[in-house]
Amino acid sequence: MSDTTVLAEERIAAPRGRASSRIRSWLSGYPTLLTYLISISVALGISALLVMMTGTSPWTAVVALYEGSLSTPASVGLALDKAAPLLIVAAGTVIAARAGLFNIGQEGQLTVGATVACAVAIFVPGPGPLVLVLSLLGGALAGAAWAGIAAVLFYKTGVPIVIGTLLLVFIAVQVLFFAVTQPWLLQEAGPEGDVMPPQSELLRTEVWLPHIGEYPGLNFTSGVLIALALAVIVAVLLRHSVWGFKMTMLGMNKLAARRAGINAAVLGGTALLWSGAFAGLGGAVMLVGGNHRLQPGISENSGWDGLLVALVAKENPVFAIPVALFFGVLRAGGGFLASTGVPRYLVDVVTAVLVLAVAFPPAFRILRRTWQARAAARALAQSGKGAAA
Amino acid sequence: MRPELLGASPVHGEAAPAVELQGITKRYGTTIACDDVHLSVASGEIHGLLGQNGAGKSTLVKILLGLVSRDAGQILLHGRPTEIPDPFAAAELGLAMVHQHFSLVNELTVWENVTLGDTGRPDADATCELVRSIGERYGLVVDPLARVEDLSTGQRQRVEIIKCLRRDPGILILDEPTSVLTLSDSRELFSVLRRVAQDEQRTVILISHKLDEILNATDRVTIMRSGRVVAQRRTSEVDERELAREMVGRELSKWVAASALGNLDALVDPALSKDPAMFTAVRPVEDRPAVRMRIDSAVASRDGRPLLQGLTLELRAGEILGLAGIEGNGQHAIGDLLSSLLPLDSGEVRVDGVPVPAGRPGAMHHAGIGVIPEDRHQSGCVLDMSVAENLVLSAVPSVSRRGFVSRRRMRERAEELIERFEIATPSPDTPMRDLSGGNQQKVVLARELSQQPKILVAAYPTRGLDVGAIEYMTEQLHEASRAGIGVLLISTELEEILTLSHRIAVIHRGAVVGEMPRMDVDIERLGMLMGGQQA
Ligand SMILES: Nc1ncnc2c1ncn2[C@@H]1O[C@H](COP(=O)(O)OP(=O)(O)OP(=O)(O)O)[C@@H](O)[C@H]1O
Ligand SMILES: [Mg+2]
Repeated sequence: MSDTTVLAEERIAAPRGRASSRIRSWLSGYPTLLTYLISISVALGISALLVMMTGTSPWTAVVALYEGSLSTPASVGLALDKAAPLLIVAAGTVIAARAGLFNIGQEGQLTVGATVACAVAIFVPGPGPLVLVLSLLGGALAGAAWAGIAAVLFYKTGVPIVIGTLLLVFIAVQVLFFAVTQPWLLQEAGPEGDVMPPQSELLRTEVWLPHIGEYPGLNFTSGVLIALALAVIVAVLLRHSVWGFKMTMLGMNKLAARRAGINAAVLGGTALLWSGAFAGLGGAVMLVGGNHRLQPGISENSGWDGLLVALVAKENPVFAIPVALFFGVLRAGGGFLASTGVPRYLVDVVTAVLVLAVAFPPAFRILRRTWQARAAARALAQSGKGAAA
Repeated sequence: MRPELLGASPVHGEAAPAVELQGITKRYGTTIACDDVHLSVASGEIHGLLGQNGAGKSTLVKILLGLVSRDAGQILLHGRPTEIPDPFAAAELGLAMVHQHFSLVNELTVWENVTLGDTGRPDADATCELVRSIGERYGLVVDPLARVEDLSTGQRQRVEIIKCLRRDPGILILDEPTSVLTLSDSRELFSVLRRVAQDEQRTVILISHKLDEILNATDRVTIMRSGRVVAQRRTSEVDERELAREMVGRELSKWVAASALGNLDALVDPALSKDPAMFTAVRPVEDRPAVRMRIDSAVASRDGRPLLQGLTLELRAGEILGLAGIEGNGQHAIGDLLSSLLPLDSGEVRVDGVPVPAGRPGAMHHAGIGVIPEDRHQSGCVLDMSVAENLVLSAVPSVSRRGFVSRRRMRERAEELIERFEIATPSPDTPMRDLSGGNQQKVVLARELSQQPKILVAAYPTRGLDVGAIEYMTEQLHEASRAGIGVLLISTELEEILTLSHRIAVIHRGAVVGEMPRMDVDIERLGMLMGGQQA
């Protein structure tokens, strides 16, 4: 099967006519360029329509998006802060994907990561910087453990990774909620008799991630640096290390990898643990870098969006950097946009439309090839019949 | 639906050839896969296509099938110039092909595989009926409800052919269909092809490296070398040696020729045993060297099916032990066992006296057992990685330092192996997928041989290789044995076993039932053992 489909891809630019065909073959050589332009334009059009339906002018919306994310150094910093956890999650996703495993439970791993990071930050005594590091590590470990459950379910009992990781998301959300509603766990303490909201106390400032830069200049949390460093490290390791080589082999041909002495459960399991650890770390960074207190919904869907970043970046950790930035800009601008009267959910819809626009061209290429093949076959069959008659 | 291709509309009194290729040229970068190829095949003819690995045979037929676009040239079907832009069009025009590598989905049943690619709702009953009726008509019996992964290689090949024949093709192309078949299976296939060509006036194009097949099965033969047609003959007017010479461009040693040509009589001819070349090849190993590997009463099963039933086998340093037997008697299981893919229910494997845990990933590999697997295309290489990467795979630590792969050393190693094994590839960085079938095989062979294992398991090592490459392969295995490596040769082809082995063991129903030194080989006894009779 796969052999034949790949073979069919070889025939893209068939030499047919002369001058006009040169343009056509140029287009078919770079089908993505044109289709990307078209599909993004369409997506922007749809977004404009949606915004107009809420009674705001699209132009106002664009200006608001810009002002919220790129107009001042401070807003750029905000966009960077929003992008950081997405990039961390995406880098982890790439590791699992390289080993041929489709982890889609980052949202859960991130949630658990944030929860455990909070517990460490609150309960572990000691100097601030040390507790901060422990808190980040705790988040990563928790994420890894959460993904590890899915790994054990897969390698021991055959529950598909997609199902296992996905179901654990819903459990993770409940775990967080439970933790912040139990006074003996993480719920903040108040005066006797008061009903307290479901959230943890504010973390002491010594365990916050250090800030770089000062308002109103460019400023962001050091989580951004962590994210960048991790993306680069993952890229280098996957491309140049023996570990990355084996991982790639496992992802591309399980059978050959097994023959070459690779233990799929060990190597694949590790990949899954790492991807969980990254998501958990993402959660920890969101906690100690931005929120400073644990609340339900602290993830702001960063797990899902991080997964999307990895997919849009075609599982390339370096390419994930600009993609994460793009998402960060939308998120930062979206917050500002909401203050102009555009409902916040619309920002999510617009993000989704734009993601679809980016994902569409590759899918379209495959579709178009099939259509062309069908049409050509029909035409030939027609002419064949005509000649025979 | 199908345009009238069969009756071969007579144009101007004389029937136009069913297929005519004129000046077909195809370049891949600097490689010229096909260079101004002319070929014409008549209706009702079986036409052989012969050539070394990478000569351009597969590329040529892929162009005909619309899988690869050509750079220049013209295709005429029944005298009419025809564009074949894609495989759909080819199917409509009555062209069908059995590919060099299986294109079946293992997890699906036979009938599901047969309907695969159809539009509309699959009709289970109708398809099963179709599979049965084609099976009856051509003698290609296979259970439509069986899952493909449970079928033997021969049966899978039948499914591939049924997939083609059900489209009622006027032109049937087979790319090395027998490289995975046993002798009796391939005989059966050829009688099917005869019927298809003579009785039904279809056209058959057959690619093969086996010269005896070409001689027995085809009417005419075209020989390609480096993308060019170098000769076109009527099969009745040539002999094997001439074909081999045209193909390789030089004379082959008598010994290798006999084996590569599938000439069993020559191999057991006492006169040939006096041939000094043969003498060095099959001389028994002197003064009984150390036992390298011992498999002791191995018992294994999978899903309740017994695979090995008390198999015992001893392999000494520096010997080539040929494991002969009829397909499906446990050869596959031995290969799996020695690749750590199969755990044992009882019994053990020892390498240099040390027991090796069977079934633990990588254990056999670490113990020093190298395996050239029988399904190299599937499990011996990673098609999406480069040739250089495929030349290391498990040996990646040897080209890395402190956990990092050195691209430079990997490239150097690749260049050396590419030169030594004459692998035809544009560069070490070419994706494995782009190599010709035979050259993919060579990559796997080169990798395993170059790792200097203690023990080398070679399953059907010459399958899919051209005559010249077989000669080289033979030399390499002999050299490995001279260097003290114990070689276990698994094959269902007696010619291959007789050419290479020092000692022959026979496997039947998952156990070794007898053995003999190569020098005193007794073909009759061998045959009886293989058939399960005590002898
Ligand atoms: N997609 C591709 N990209 C680059 N080079 C290719 C591609 N396909 C084939 N080639 C090259 O074209 C040449 C001819 O290949 P082809 O597969 O036609 O050989 P073949 O005669 O079928 O050999 P074999 O007997 O080994 O199957 C080879 O040198 C091969 O490396
Ligand atoms: Mg080929």
